[in-house]
Amino acid sequence: MKDQWTDRLSGYLDGDLGVAERGALEAHLAGCPACEATLDELRRVVARAQALEDQPPATDLWPAIAEQIGVSSGAHRVVSLAAHRARRRVSLTVAQLAAAAAVLLLLGSGGAYLALHRSTQDNRPLARRQTGIEPVTGTIGWVQKTSASYDSAVAELQGALEQGRNSGRLDSATVRVLTQSLVTIDSAIVQARRALAADPGSAYLNQHLADTMRRKLELLRRANTLVPART
Amino acid sequence: MLLNVAAVITLVVTQQTDTTVPVRPGMRLDVDNFGGEIVVRAWNQNAVRVQATHSSRDRIDVGVGSSTVSVKAESRRGLAQMVEYQISAPTWMEMNLHGVSTDIEVDGAQAGVTAETVNGEVKVRGGSGQLSLKSVQGAVTLQNAKGHIDVYTVNEEVTLENVSGDVTAETVSGDISLGGIESASVEVSTVSGDVHYDGTIKDGGHYRFATHNGDVSVSVPERANVTVSVATFNGDFDSCFPVSVTNTSKHRFSFTIGSGSARAELETFNGDIKLCRPGQLHDKRHNDQEDH
Amino acid sequence: MELTSPGVTTLRRDPDQAATGAGGAGGGGDAETADVALAASGDGRAFERLYRGHVARVHSLARRMIGPEAADDVTQDVFVRAWTKLATFRGEAAFGTWLHRLAINVILARRTSLGTERGRYHDGEDVLDAVPSRPVANELSLDFQEAIGRLPDGAREVFVLHDMEGYKHDEIADMLGIVPGTSKSQLHHARMALRKHLDR
Repeated sequence: MKDQWTDRLSGYLDGDLGVAERGALEAHLAGCPACEATLDELRRVVARAQALEDQPPATDLWPAIAEQIGVSSGAHRVVSLAAHRARRRVSLTVAQLAAAAAVLLLLGSGGAYLALHRSTQDNRPLARRQTGIEPVTGTIGWVQKTSASYDSAVAELQGALEQGRNSGRLDSATVRVLTQSLVTIDSAIVQARRALAADPGSAYLNQHLADTMRRKLELLRRANTLVPART
Repeated sequence: MLLNVAAVITLVVTQQTDTTVPVRPGMRLDVDNFGGEIVVRAWNQNAVRVQATHSSRDRIDVGVGSSTVSVKAESRRGLAQMVEYQISAPTWMEMNLHGVSTDIEVDGAQAGVTAETVNGEVKVRGGSGQLSLKSVQGAVTLQNAKGHIDVYTVNEEVTLENVSGDVTAETVSGDISLGGIESASVEVSTVSGDVHYDGTIKDGGHYRFATHNGDVSVSVPERANVTVSVATFNGDFDSCFPVSVTNTSKHRFSFTIGSGSARAELETFNGDIKLCRPGQLHDKRHNDQEDH
Repeated sequence: MELTSPGVTTLRRDPDQAATGAGGAGGGGDAETADVALAASGDGRAFERLYRGHVARVHSLARRMIGPEAADDVTQDVFVRAWTKLATFRGEAAFGTWLHRLAINVILARRTSLGTERGRYHDGEDVLDAVPSRPVANELSLDFQEAIGRLPDGAREVFVLHDMEGYKHDEIADMLGIVPGTSKSQLHHARMALRKHLDR
């Protein structure tokens, strides 16, 4: 059954029809048992969909998540994050940057750079691709939200940026812009810290400081994904 | 930077390439460039036409795969290419445009657009679906588009006009100006710059406007239902209409308009926060400028 | 919105409620509020509790929206992103609502990068044809959930967002970058196609 009325049945169910249209449809339904049956089926489809229960994933995803965010999962498992991430194209979304930076800090720069690089089919020698990122010694826990890990994250990324500049991989005007932007953020951080020292209980200031620090990390991460857009 | 590259390139012979390839609906356009520009204009033909101005040492490679048309320049000497692309592509075609020292411009698209450059402007008119526009050193502008919008630059301004859909807009040093927005989810932040928003406040929606050094001005439509949270450290709050503050702490307070079902957060450390009715903010800004 | 029509109007819009119903572990309340605050300050165990309480909801949404193959990956992304963004969560909406919205954003961003966006909005009969493209016997025995998964991308997304997640057409249109009319017609086509897979 397919006619001009059928197409309006969903709108009718959802209360989307105007008064006149609804009246006309109801009049038609009264004399069309097939239409009534279709309407009833559509109503059951909606009810059936709403009755579907949520199911957890077949495998526990927590260990992999814990590893990515740098917290202990209890059951340790080795996951090749570089391989995992390299499957994806970096499109500079915040989520991907955060994840990529987590890789950067957890695995050291070589693997991280591979993961960050847009071209995953790139077969150039590893040594060439590593340029621009300072090697990381040891493993740094990601986003422990302690100032120590924040400071080391910033230091790592700043070192990488510096090397990008020295190696000439980053255009000097771009480095200047990035550096100025970092100065802008740093002065905002200093102001927020000072304000917070005077008023440690302020929820706004706490939040604002955290937000601004996060912006700095994010800018550094983005900057490092740029390093050699090509070599 | 661009000028330097341009000066070098005049020493070599420039060449024109003009290639047209047929495409099927569903195919995507990928363009990769180093220096120069990528200009894409949408047309109503199922074909992609690539017109490129480039060095005679470079060759323009237009590759047609099963799902993509990819455009890039290949250089015999491995030097950075400077190519000016003028591309015509079907309105339905999703596109993925990458450049380094490249300006990117898209006009009339009706599909998703990803545009990323390091040193250059990004200007997109039209677009629908996933719209992701990024630059480091260059202004980003999006007009007449709808979908999921994600816009980022580091040191220039972001401008959105007549845009609907979820919006995320960020810069570090630059103003963010949003006009004619229709959205239930807007997240805007800059460190050093003003934030201006003129658009819908939808029931149940969430809106966040934050800056450190700059003013925040937001228009609230007459019949909006929104709970507004305002925070500033060194600035003032000013509203064109009466509000009654319900909840206040040292640097933050909130109030409810209508049923309060939407949430709006307005924050600036050093600047002022203004609320007005649609249209008034623009006039006010204009008058302020004239006063100076 | 006034709901005066005789249709089905009880929409599941509160993900917290749903999370409680499904798993019982993470359905809002003071314990969850405390976990959110703890997680925001870097407590991994608190975040794990939030994960346990909400993973079924997020995973089911991902599975329905972009299919079982990508659902694990997307779910991981959602929680990683949630962890990094927790500092910006101010507790004004329920955590579940915030997470759900985040999940939808991640999913919608992902489907483009997977290249699944093309040709997703078919008009008219194409949509109806797409589901019953298998032998009739299979078709009848096809599980309802599986049938949803076999809808064309556009119709499936609209169906999930409207009939299962409770979004309105104009919200869906915004999210997907389509006009509300397209959302309505896709929904209707999806429902018409799914009638065949109702339990008999």
